[in-house]
Amino acid sequence: MKLLIAEDEISLQQSIVTYLERDGNVCECASNYEEAIYKVSLYDYDVIILDVNLVTGSGLEVLKHLKKEKKKTGVIIISANNSLSDKLEGLDLGADDYITKPFHLAELNSRIKAVLRRGKFGGDENILFNEIRVDTGAKSAYVLDKPLTLTRKEYDLLLFFITNKNRILSKEIIAEHLWGDNSDLADNFDFIYVHINNLRKKLTSEGAKYIKTAYGSGYKFTEE
Amino acid sequence: MAKKNIKIPLLRKASKSFLWASMLLMVLSTIALFFYVRWLLEKEVEEELFSAEARIESALLAGQHPSSLAPIIEINEVDELKTAFTKDTVIFDPSQDEMELFRELSTYKSINSKSYKISVRVLVVETNQILWAIILSYMVIILLVFVFQFYLNKSNNKKIWNPFFHNLEQMKKFSLLSKEPLQLLDSEILEFSELNKEISQLTGKVRDDYENLKQYTEDVSHELQTPLAIIQAKIENIINGQSLTEIQFNQLASIQKDIQRLTQLNKRLALLTKLENHQFTHRASIDITDLIAQIISNFNEISTISLTFEKASNIMANMDPYLAEILCNNIISNAIKHSSHGKPINIESKNMVLSVYNYGATSIANPQQLFTRFYRENKEFKSTGLGLAIVKKICDLYGYDITYAYINGHHCFSIDFGSTTSTRKLSS
Repeated sequence: MKLLIAEDEISLQQSIVTYLERDGNVCECASNYEEAIYKVSLYDYDVIILDVNLVTGSGLEVLKHLKKEKKKTGVIIISANNSLSDKLEGLDLGADDYITKPFHLAELNSRIKAVLRRGKFGGDENILFNEIRVDTGAKSAYVLDKPLTLTRKEYDLLLFFITNKNRILSKEIIAEHLWGDNSDLADNFDFIYVHINNLRKKLTSEGAKYIKTAYGSGYKFTEE
Repeated sequence: MAKKNIKIPLLRKASKSFLWASMLLMVLSTIALFFYVRWLLEKEVEEELFSAEARIESALLAGQHPSSLAPIIEINEVDELKTAFTKDTVIFDPSQDEMELFRELSTYKSINSKSYKISVRVLVVETNQILWAIILSYMVIILLVFVFQFYLNKSNNKKIWNPFFHNLEQMKKFSLLSKEPLQLLDSEILEFSELNKEISQLTGKVRDDYENLKQYTEDVSHELQTPLAIIQAKIENIINGQSLTEIQFNQLASIQKDIQRLTQLNKRLALLTKLENHQFTHRASIDITDLIAQIISNFNEISTISLTFEKASNIMANMDPYLAEILCNNIISNAIKHSSHGKPINIESKNMVLSVYNYGATSIANPQQLFTRFYRENKEFKSTGLGLAIVKKICDLYGYDITYAYINGHHCFSIDFGSTTSTRKLSS
């Protein structure tokens, strides 16, 4: 996968690159508006991570430029502004998703994968992991083509795990992915434990033992 | 002293002191006039008596004998001479056919070797009548003058103070939220004009300070987000990088949790600022009861606390859908956070009022501070302290009444969606 990270905060830009490259993605960077426009005009990317406030110009202008050139590129907007109107403006201009700072890299990663899956980029609605197949169109999962009965949260959890496979996910990140702003209510994270345990049991009973515990309280989806 | 607290309008106060002063002046001048006129009249009567007596005396001297004309003139021969005297006497007046008061002068004269007692009298009634006529006409004139003065003064005062009253009303309507400058009436009076200048400067400064403060909050919450994003991203890379000890991992996870708290705080502060700036103008018809049912099902996934919902009637509200969700979410999550011992939470919708009950051993110590930002009744909860402040702000925006009560060991928050003051504020 070829990605462009257009972000003027170098620290953040490099952290995103580090995280995404581990999956074997090719990441290029743009640190200002001109560089972003330049790279977008010259090369084709699968997904562009676009900061709205690029130091020398607006990320939304880059987006307009992309749409004018009719490039088939997925765009995820990053903004420090949590306002609905910004979000709507970005999506109206043709962005595929919108994420507000601060965000978890795992969350960004799963959004990128979701954008790639969507049909218009020729993506496949099915995600495969060994014998597991997740059909994101039908929101269902199979082990060796045998359907798994999952609750909505368990399905979300499985998808999140698979898109962030081989990564260590803390309960904080999982809670925020599943419940967003309300995750602070799940004070002791017992609820996550319950959901993860149920999912793990369902997978294990089909022979898919991929959910591992890491460092005592974190989780990792891996075949190692 | 209760008297201290009674406030009198300026114009009434001025009229009142004018009235008292003129009344006192009227009474005193009338009394003075009364005594002066009476003294004048008495002097006049006495002069008249003496001149009549002198005329009679000279007639007697000339050998004429003026006939007595009782009760006005009486001439009697007497044996001995006494000293002259004046007195008031009541005698029968045949012309009036009744007893009348007379002023009498009696002198004793020896004329042509005969002794006479000459008495002359004047009817007092007449002088009394003159006296009262003068006093009455004086009173009428002075009263007319005062009434005229009073109204003239009043209308004058009203005209002079008019800019002051107008500006006072303007200041009462002053709101930090409205961007329009105060419409102050200028006046030819120096002090008023100075007052206007000061008010304009003061309100301008207050507004600027308020704007700055709001801008500051907005900027801070905005600027904080990028560093937070960097910290969060780096932690995730550390977790996924080289191998860590379990203690290190737990500490990093705990930092993630704190970042999340900071993020929440930031988001809520930004939301409060936006609410204060009236940046939510979108309105749609929202079924609050539907929304509550949906939120309850979300919370059931996170919380073991049981949430029951008694829907006696539907509540429809005309408000921003995003704010409606935050409002319902916050009021329920507040109840979940503060429900002791996992006791159930009851939610009721009845007659446009949404009530949320959660168990609490004791009532809240400072209910008046409940909706203040960063007020935490109990420090052990790691809340942002902004949830209820946001609820209150949203209710204020749409004019919904929100009340807190402690009933039978339960904290109860009620929002009256029926008490809306329609489109107030939003239109501005």
